[in-house]
Amino acid sequence: MQFLGMLSGNLLNGIILGAVYGLMTMGLSLIFGVLKVVNVGHGAFIMVGAYVAYWMFTLFGLAPILSVPIGLILGMALGFLFFYLVMKRLLDAPELSTLLATFAIGIFLEEIAKVIWGPDFRGYSWNVGSLHLPIATIPMAKIYALMSSIAIAIGLYLWFKKTRAGTALRCLVEDKEGARVCGINVTGFYALSFALGLGFTVLSGVLLTLFIPVGISPYMGGIYTLKAFVIAVLGGLASPWGAFFGGFIFGLVENGSYSLLGLIPNVEPFSLTQFVAFMVLLVILLLKPEGLLGEK
Amino acid sequence: MILRKYSSFIITLAIFAVLLLIGLLRPTMWQPVALIMFYIAMGQAFNIFLGMTGYVNFGYVAFLAIGSYGMALGISRFYHTGIGLWLIPLGFTLAALMAGLLSVLVGGIALRLRGAYFAIATIGVNEGLKYLIEGAKFWGGSEGIIISKPMRVTFGRHLANSLSTFWADIFLFAIAVLAAYLTFRFMHSRVGYALTAVREDEDAAKVMGVNATKYKLIAFIVSSCVAGLIGATTWCLKSTYVFPEDVFEVSYTVEAIVIVMLGGSGTLLGPIIGGLIYGICKYWLAVLLPGLQLLILAPLIIVIIVAFPGGIVGVIREKTRGTAFDQVIV
Amino acid sequence: MSLLKLEGVTKRFGGLVAVDHVDLVVEHGELLGIVGPNGSGKTTLYNLISGVYRCDEGKIFFEEQEITSLPPYTRAHIGIGRSFQIPRPFGSATVRENVAIGAMFGRMIGKVGEREALEMADHYLSLLGLYDKRHKVSNSLTPVEKKLMEIARALAMKPKLLLMDEAMAGMNPKDIDGMVALIKKIGEQEKIAIVSMVEHVMRALVNFAERVMVMHQGKKLVDAPTQKALNDPRVIEVYLGRPTLEGRDAEGN
Repeated sequence: MQFLGMLSGNLLNGIILGAVYGLMTMGLSLIFGVLKVVNVGHGAFIMVGAYVAYWMFTLFGLAPILSVPIGLILGMALGFLFFYLVMKRLLDAPELSTLLATFAIGIFLEEIAKVIWGPDFRGYSWNVGSLHLPIATIPMAKIYALMSSIAIAIGLYLWFKKTRAGTALRCLVEDKEGARVCGINVTGFYALSFALGLGFTVLSGVLLTLFIPVGISPYMGGIYTLKAFVIAVLGGLASPWGAFFGGFIFGLVENGSYSLLGLIPNVEPFSLTQFVAFMVLLVILLLKPEGLLGEK
Repeated sequence: MILRKYSSFIITLAIFAVLLLIGLLRPTMWQPVALIMFYIAMGQAFNIFLGMTGYVNFGYVAFLAIGSYGMALGISRFYHTGIGLWLIPLGFTLAALMAGLLSVLVGGIALRLRGAYFAIATIGVNEGLKYLIEGAKFWGGSEGIIISKPMRVTFGRHLANSLSTFWADIFLFAIAVLAAYLTFRFMHSRVGYALTAVREDEDAAKVMGVNATKYKLIAFIVSSCVAGLIGATTWCLKSTYVFPEDVFEVSYTVEAIVIVMLGGSGTLLGPIIGGLIYGICKYWLAVLLPGLQLLILAPLIIVIIVAFPGGIVGVIREKTRGTAFDQVIV
Repeated sequence: MSLLKLEGVTKRFGGLVAVDHVDLVVEHGELLGIVGPNGSGKTTLYNLISGVYRCDEGKIFFEEQEITSLPPYTRAHIGIGRSFQIPRPFGSATVRENVAIGAMFGRMIGKVGEREALEMADHYLSLLGLYDKRHKVSNSLTPVEKKLMEIARALAMKPKLLLMDEAMAGMNPKDIDGMVALIKKIGEQEKIAIVSMVEHVMRALVNFAERVMVMHQGKKLVDAPTQKALNDPRVIEVYLGRPTLEGRDAEGN
């Protein structure tokens, strides 16, 4: 009985974390959906967001939630920078080139972070009280993260549906040549999508720090790259909305498996959960590569 | 002329011979030579897959790792059976078998996928395997396997020492020659032609009769087995231990990518030249600027991708096309 | 025994029926033309026969064996060869290597090694006038040369059935006549049934095909000897909308 209580508490935490996971993956799906580029360096940008949150809090006492817009702007700036510097020249190159380029960009960011801030783990604690529920006690910080994630996801959805820029982007995804003929600046929108995608990734890194109190380091991103890919594939690689919902599913499954695996003796549940995540990825790719929620 | 066809292979063997001589005649140079050969061999094994198919195996290092586990398990689990020196071939066999098995499992799934999806499938392989070993706590879990004691017990202190410091590197030379030979055979056989077709236009290749998945799998398995052998000798035999946090380092995959792209993928001499230059630079850079290699490498990769996608060999081929040297450096 | 038989072959893309219950028989050594306006389903039909697409309905038989669910590379091994409308060279390989790939993996798979394949490549390249260009990187050929290489590559597969896709587009009339004569001769010598798909260049069809199948909106409209098919009023109406047709013989029929 006590286990059930713990399990349901864990699952609730999983859903909350899942919202941030989903947000984190939306950037990946956006970039793939529009540019057909897989951002293999995804995790590095999450790391950037984490450091933004850390330094804003440690140096200026800025609440992490308020670092979110900073993360978004920084991410978009990096996005425009890398797009015009690198990605634009590779738009017609074989897939291999863009894969390696994003990979290299990620490595580059990680190494710079290591040089500037050192390889050690950092963390901070933002204590704003807790919410006491029958099955679990949830820190308010996490609740704020959940609310922010949902708000931002809705915001993006409305942006796509209602604004001229968003509509133009949707046209671009449907038919590149048609969009060009309609006068849409294709390259400019590619840049915007790349920037937006990276912006979302960085800001999700900010929110993620509310869940990993001591885990900030230059190489923290790698594990999130893997998770992001699992979620993206779950939700359909090109669909930001699928990614968001996929995040919830992933958060649930991850925490659930962590609890269940913890029951098995002589096993290290954290590592094994990551392995389970990888297996899920392979199984989905095997059965339905376009994602559980995606279309062929 | 027949000689032209073998020219690159001959040049390769010549380079290996020169390196070996340098190492043998000047013992202080043995370590740098061994390091350079490691990069050359690692690049060659990576190139067998990347160069032939155009697909990137982002989980490459996992195959080096599982090979080193193969050797470690061979020695640590069987040394009390008294087979003595036969432990070494046993270790290598295990390394190749385990790497091959892993490649069949991963390749069987991943190779049905195209481009980006393939990259995604392989990106998790080294993380996945590492977490499996640490999580399920087999093969020593996160503590790894240490073989220095079994080696001392089986071979005696003196032989064990020379195995680690000399013979491990000689084995590496042999593996490098094997890799070069396999690459050469691939390029001039039906497999090579099939993979060229797949690389250029996979759908057209299928219509022309090429069973794309089968040939991709062949390249993948061979590439992985050679990688396993490299891991067995350079990581396990030489350092006498295997730790998961060390052997699953993604930076090795990065280095392999740099070496192959720098030299020119899909060619025989590309990884050789790439490994040579990279090995030399890294050795001196490690002295001058420790810890900063990746920081310099990452932008280098980008520059190569954008400006010189064919690598050094690609540039040479462009310059020599149509001249008497055409097809000599390949 | 017929070479190729299609029974009720159908392919849909969403709501669009691209190929609509088409029946077709091709005999060994036959010269068949497939004609139809843009969008009539010709290319989809080719893709169904060569295995690039799967049929939604219907069956395909090759020499009485059902091949409906065989993958494209197996169909190449049993003797179905194809050239593409927009040439698809294996870009970075030389012309000679391109054609050799056809030789190695076509119907002679397993029986032909590198050296023999290169010799076969030389043979077909000289037949098509590309022998001098055989060491050039295939990406550097002119569009017409690429088309010729396509044909050479398909021929090197030693097919029993060759599907040619708008092979003469872009050539001038004199070259077309020469090409048609050449293809017919090779087809006769090597006992290849050749299906030539044509949309505009009627000249290529009239001197070549013994029989013509006309397609319209995915369906087979007419299947008859060449002149009869081309002068069928339904065809003229559907195709041109007016009662004149290029490619008349000397009598103006």
